Parts: sequence; structure tokens; C-alpha cells
Amino acid sequence: MIARSLAGIHPRPRGRETSLLLLAAVALLTGWLSLATTQAGRLSAGDPGLLVIYLAAAGVIHVLFVITGRRTDQVLFPAVVLLGGISLLFMARLPPSLVTQDAGPAGVLTLAPLQLVWLLLSLSIIAGLAIVVRNDTWLRNYKYSWAAAGVTLLLLVFLFGDEVNGVRLMLRVGPIVGQPSELLKVILVVFLAGYLAENRALLAGTSLRVGPLDLPPLAYLLPMLAMWGIALAVVVVQRDLGAALLFFAVFLGLLYVATQRTSFVALGLLLAAVGSVFLYAVEPTVQVRVAIWLDPFAQALGSGFQIVRGLYAFGRGGLVGTGLGAGLPSPDGTLAVPALHTDYVFAGLAEELGAAGAIALIGLYLVIAERGLRIAARGADDFRALLAAGLTLVLVLQAALIMAGDLKLVPLTGVTLPFVAYGGSSLLGSGICVGLLMALSDAGVEAPAPPQALTRGERWRARGRGVAGRVERAVR
Amino acid sequence: MNRGAAPLVQRGLARLAVAVVLCYAAVALGLGYWQGLQAQALTNDPGNPLVAALRDGPRGRILDARGTVLAQDATVGGVRVRRYPLLAAEPVVGYWSPTLGSAGLEHTYDADLSGLAGTSPVDELLRKFGASSATPLDVVTSLDMRLQADAVKLLGKQKGAIVALDPTTGRVLALASTPSFDPDQVVAPGTGPAYMASLSAPGNASPLLDRATQGLYTPGSVFKMVTAVAGIGSGAITGATTYRDQPGEERSGFVVDGFKVVDGHHDFTGTTALDFVQATEVSCNIYFAHVGLATGAAALRGWARRLGFEAPIPFDLPTATSQVTSGGGPLDGFVDDVELANAAYGQGTTAVTPLQMALVAATIANGGTLMRPTLLDALRSPGGTVVQQTTPRVWQEVLSSAQDAVLREAMTGAVESAWGRPFAGSAAIPGVQTAGKTGTAQLGGSGEPHAWFIGFAPAAAPRIAVAVIIEQGGHGGEVAAPLGGQLMGDWLRLAP
Repeated sequence: MIARSLAGIHPRPRGRETSLLLLAAVALLTGWLSLATTQAGRLSAGDPGLLVIYLAAAGVIHVLFVITGRRTDQVLFPAVVLLGGISLLFMARLPPSLVTQDAGPAGVLTLAPLQLVWLLLSLSIIAGLAIVVRNDTWLRNYKYSWAAAGVTLLLLVFLFGDEVNGVRLMLRVGPIVGQPSELLKVILVVFLAGYLAENRALLAGTSLRVGPLDLPPLAYLLPMLAMWGIALAVVVVQRDLGAALLFFAVFLGLLYVATQRTSFVALGLLLAAVGSVFLYAVEPTVQVRVAIWLDPFAQALGSGFQIVRGLYAFGRGGLVGTGLGAGLPSPDGTLAVPALHTDYVFAGLAEELGAAGAIALIGLYLVIAERGLRIAARGADDFRALLAAGLTLVLVLQAALIMAGDLKLVPLTGVTLPFVAYGGSSLLGSGICVGLLMALSDAGVEAPAPPQALTRGERWRARGRGVAGRVERAVR
Repeated sequence: MNRGAAPLVQRGLARLAVAVVLCYAAVALGLGYWQGLQAQALTNDPGNPLVAALRDGPRGRILDARGTVLAQDATVGGVRVRRYPLLAAEPVVGYWSPTLGSAGLEHTYDADLSGLAGTSPVDELLRKFGASSATPLDVVTSLDMRLQADAVKLLGKQKGAIVALDPTTGRVLALASTPSFDPDQVVAPGTGPAYMASLSAPGNASPLLDRATQGLYTPGSVFKMVTAVAGIGSGAITGATTYRDQPGEERSGFVVDGFKVVDGHHDFTGTTALDFVQATEVSCNIYFAHVGLATGAAALRGWARRLGFEAPIPFDLPTATSQVTSGGGPLDGFVDDVELANAAYGQGTTAVTPLQMALVAATIANGGTLMRPTLLDALRSPGGTVVQQTTPRVWQEVLSSAQDAVLREAMTGAVESAWGRPFAGSAAIPGVQTAGKTGTAQLGGSGEPHAWFIGFAPAAAPRIAVAVIIEQGGHGGEVAAPLGGQLMGDWLRLAP
């Protein structure tokens, strides 16, 4: 089997990716020099071990891309490498004891090494998906199974989830702890892409007039209502406002792309407004969130503490920033802004890199948005286009949501800044998104011919497909 | 499936791209707002932990308008401590302690005193490259320590406050609150916490509270000048307005919804229906109850707001919010006409700060124009370069000077006229036409009333406006007015 796979491989140079990666490496090494110099008080390279490992891994993956010779996008990977590198720099700059994990024989890992491990895993997932995935039937044909898996995941969290700070997000399986909503995002996009690609002609073409609103027929409204219900459930069950907002925004975005009917979006926004009012009425946490969003300084030492401290960080940074390592995240051992490595990583970076650096960061996400939507526009069919658009939206809307939250433009929600915030689940989820996007960007490879005989592995896969197929038929 | 009916995905994607770009543009604008426009304000905010982080560095001095040192660094046994040479400057100057935090001007201007605020954007930029370290700035206040010490001495052992300001500029000349505290003992290493605990012990008279800016008191008759501003300003009354029934009501009482407003302290006016000036001279409650009802609840509150009520006064120190009514009632916040009539002569649920009442006096003194009150004159670098200079700013145009003239006449009459002299004559400065209004705020129960005085001098071209309160001191005319007159006279001699 390996021999057969290798036979089809023709190395292909990826010049653009090479030069962009070199650029990212230079930027990151300069950043490391700046950080180490600030920390040592004299010109110093410090101990660049973590960054060297990271860059080496990125280099290896690049070589793998070249050797396997797929015609995938050459900009996404360098953009992600730069984002992840910035994350690594910032984690190396924060107090190491912020997060620690006993890694058995490797000893106790601290913040930056842990983040490096997650980053390497994330890059590996990107590489794996970008190289291996050549065909999308496993995503396309089993959308209801994916949806069922998603709902199951949600149920598992509801039943077995751990509550942290009043938010039920964590699912523990043995030693592994994760946030299933990160995986749920991807599953959701796969389902939506499948559903909308199949039904978009009907959704766009027929209508039911109710007053000024040009509504879709009732049967097709159900998925929208279901989505609305899921989003609400996510808030009520997990108390995770951010994920709910993101789910619904991605859904509306895809619905618009598929149907291009403003009335659907208007209806969706109306539903969102009704849902928000409902949640505001029943959930005290939502009321607090809104109150501290409107005037955090009224509760500067209470519930508004984090937002106020975040704003101080932005103010301190000014236009050009204090310089890496010269900001003041921990004047007296405690973090100046709580959750500086997760929810407020953007504020921390904006303090040290200034508005200039923060805008560059925004630029990187815009690059991802541009590449992702371009891949979508070139998609061979509706499913691939919608899938690519959805994966892109998950990444860039999430980034916009948390950046706007840090800046007090919208109420603060606990979504992560993709590839920059600390956290394994988020890095893995984002890695899947980018990996699939890269795989989708390769329009040159046809689906492989059906295999002649089933190997043992393939027999298992066929059996799995049998189960999934039954689910699909039952739902239809 | 009819594929032909579906629009091109590409067109939807293009619009989606626009939406994404707009989202990110909003984020970029947010960055510009906080990191550009608001950066300095955020960095100087006393709550900012960055300010505290610079606590080991040297701090600038706090000076009065003539250069007298109110706070400066000193080195004792190799340790840098803060020294406060003049006790009379408290609680305005406040204190600054690395362990107990800061208060007063030390708190407000912490960023400038510690040098965090920087002297210019270029300086800020240079500092990032290590070319320039923090430059602590000197804070020059508008206080004149001669007048400030005078005010503290006049208050003596009584509980109370005196605010004096220049009505034409809004510069605060004195801001006294007694009893006060010894900042040197607060910042003393080791014994500071115990001293602080003793200050806030129950039974102690809250020496840490700045009564001048944060004490809320029932105003009594000094509030009649607010009612007058509202009545004249809204056109509800003129200087010639009289109430025909008023002389009779002096004997029978003025019945509002069953509640009886009474006077009884100016029998000598007999059957004369008082006009506005005369009513002010004798401080006629019944007349001002009529004015309040004629003006109406909404207008009374509206004009009070123009004078600074119902919101914290923008000032160099934290201020309490003065109120005409505690609110909540159906009649524009008032419970009924009874509360409105009572509020009009300063009882009811009205509560004011001495600073607020000084601003009322200053507005009338300044031809109806309220200047924004300030304590900061300038920020200066150690070399003496002025980094920031306060310029007088109009805060509210409350009344036209024509409208204001009759209020000035009334307040002058209250001190100088034959009818007024028995009540506020003790404020008169020999040889100078003085204007004023006394207040005796009944507190209910058996306690002594608060004694109030507001005034300005010289009446024709005022150079100083004051508010004086002595907590439970007795009659305003006997207790507060002499202090106000004395202080204003001293100022006219000090600054001829």
C-alpha cells in the first residue's frame, strides 16, 4: 500500500511558501532577540531552544509538502507558523508557572514548553490533513452522522463536563482534558456545508410571504430553528456565550452565501435578538457580562476588573508598544490582567507590540480570511465551497470576536484567539480547520480510483460506513 | 433538484469577504481608540497598576500657587519617604504610601508625580529606547496656603468645611475640612497602619473624609439661592414678584396639601408683601415655597443641574453628588408639592456638598456664568518648564448678567441692608460691600442645626466666593457668616 502511495508522488517546489516561511523565521528570531535582550538588560539571544525546535518542525513540514508534491495553498501555512511563533514568544515571556503539567518521564512542563507541544501537534495535524486528505466523500456523505456526533458530544459535556469558573466546557477522558466545543465547530461546519449544498436551490428559490418578510418554506426553516436552539443550549448548558455566538454567526454567514437572501439573515438576526433578550432575562451571568461591558469602570475592582485591566494594557502599549518583555503583565507576581495567556492574549500583545503590532496581527487573520475565501470561490462544487467558507469563518470570526471583546467593542466572551491563545483544544481545532482548508485548496488531484480488494483496515472502514449509512437513511 | 435556481456561490462569498473586512476594520478602529486617543488617559488613571509599579522611584513635589511646598520626597536613614510640611493642606493634598495607597491630589496626579505620564509624545517614544527615564513632575495647585491656613484656623476644633474660590476663573483658593489628619503619620513606615486604623475607628469624626467635596449636608436657606436661580432663570418670577397672601400666611402658615410652611422670624415686615430682594434679605420661607411651586419640580431640578447638581462635579478630587430630592416620587422625583415647597427653602430631602454651594455663590458672583472649578494650576518639570497649564474654562452659562443682577442685589442686601443685617450682617467686611446668604439647616430631632453661609466680595466686582458649613453649629448668621466674612476680608487684604 505504501509503495502504491509513493508511486504517485512527484516532488514539486513551493517557492512562495519557502520565502514566506523564511520571512516568518526572520521576524520570529528578531522578536526572540528583542525579548531576550529586554529581559537580560543587554544584547542577548537567551535560550532560543523552544523557538528553534518550533521553526525546525515548520521546516520539516514544509519539506514534506515539497516532497509529496501536492498543489495546496502556499500562504496559509506560513501565516499559521507566524501566528504560532508569536504565541510561543509571548508564552515564553509570561511567568512559566502560569500553567504546569506533569508530563511523566519528561518532568513537569511549564507554560511555554506546553504551548510548544500543542503547537507542534497542531502543525502536525495541518500537515497530516493537507497531505493525506484527497477526497471529501467521508465528509460529504455523512453529514447527519457528523451532526449526530456533534450533538452526542454536546450531551457528553452536559452529563460529564467539569465546571470551571462556572463555565461547563471541559470534558475529561482519562488523563486527557479537552474543550469539545472546539471540535464541535468543525463538525458543525461540515454538517452545514453538506445540508446547504444539497438544499440551497430550494432554499433560495421558494418562499413564503409573511408581511414584509420573505421567508423560506416552513420545512426549511426548521434547520435554522434547530441551529438557534443548539446555540441557546450551548449557552444554557455550557454557559459558553462565545461558542454560541460563533456557531450562530458562522451559520448565518454560510446561509447567506448559499442562498444570498437578506431576509434569511434578517430573520436570523431577529432570532438572535429574541434569544439574547431571553438569555439576558434568565441568565444572571449574561446580565453581569452586559453590565461590565457597558461600564467596566463602575466595577473596576469587582466583576469589571479584567476588562479594566485589559484596557490599561492597551493604553500602556500606545501606538508602538513597550517592546516584547517590557510591558507590565505581572508587576507583583500576579498577572496584571487575569487570563493574559488565554482570553486577554490580544491585550498583552497589544501592550508590548503596540497598535502597530496588533494591526499586523489583524492583518495575519485577514490573510487567512483572504486565502480561505479564495479557496472557497475556487471550490469544485457547492459543498467544497461552503465547507471552505465555513472553516474560514470559524477561524476569522472567532479571532474578531475575542479581539473585539478585549477592546470592549462587544461583550467579552471566552472564545480563543486562534493559534495565539494558550490551550490545546483550541490549537488542535484550529489546526483541523487549516489542514482541511489546505486539502480543499488542491483542485488538481482527482479522487483516487476505487481499490481492487479490501484490506483489513478498509473492511473496518466499510463496516463503519455501514453504520453511518444507516444513520443517514434514518434521518432522510 | 433545480440547480439553476441557486445563485452563484462566488457572489455570496464576495459579500461575505466585505463583511469580514468590516469586522476587522471595527477591531482596528477600537485599537486606535484605546491605544491612540485614550492611551494617555488610561495610563494616568490612578487605578492603573502601572502607576503603583513606579512607587520606588522619586516623586515630584506638590506646591501651592506661590510655590510653598505641600509635599516632597525626603530621605530618612537611606529610605525615601514622603514629607508633608503643612498640616493645614490636608485632606486636599492627601498622602502617598507604598503600602497604604494614596489619596487626595497625591492620588489624582499620581502618574504625573511619579513621572509615568511623560512630558511629551516624543519623550514617551525616547523612553522606550532607554534614552530618557521617567521625569517626575511638580504639581502646582491653585491653593494659597495663607488663605488655606486661615480657613483651617477659622474652623478650629469645630467639624465643618470651607471652600473659597475665584469666581471669575474657578480656581480654588482654599478647601478646608476639619477635623483632618497628619499625613506624615500615615506614611510613616511601621506605624502607619495603626494610625490609619485609629483614624477610621468608630466614634472618630471621620477625619479621612474630605467634607468640602464629599460631605453631603441639608442646605437650609442657602439653597434659596438655587431656587432663585431657577425662578428667575425660568421666568417664573422676576425681582418684582410678590405674593398677595404671603403677609397673612406669616401668621396663619402657608398650607400646601395640608402641610403648613411657617416662618415667624421676621415679624417686623408686617403687612408688606415682600418682593424677591426683600424676601431674600429676611430669608422668607413662605416666599420661597411659593417660588418653588411657581417654578415647578422639573424646572427646579433642571436649573439645579445647570449649577452642577445631580452629577459628580468634574474636579481634581472625587466629589459627592448633590441632590435636590432623593428622587423616586411621581412629581419629577418629588413625592408631592409638600416636598417641592420644602426643598425650595432647603429642607425636604435636599443634600449638598460645600463645594456645590460655593459654585452657586460663584455663579451669582460671576454674572451668571459658572466657571469650571480647578485645583491644578500647572504641571512643571524639575527644571521649571511648564508642561501643562490650566486655563479658565466656562462650565455653564447659567443666567444672563441682566437676570443675575437682581440675585446679586438680593445677596448684597442680605448682608448690608437694614432688613438683612440682623440675619447675615455678621459677614460684612468693613469698608467693602459684601454679598451673602445664611442658612440654618434643621435636621429634625433635637440636634443643633447645621450653620451655613455662602457669599462673595466685593459685591460689585467679586474676587472671592465662599461656602462655609459648621456641622451642627447653630444659627448660620451667628456661627458661619462671621467666618465667611472674616475669610473674604483676609483674602482681599492678602491679594489686593
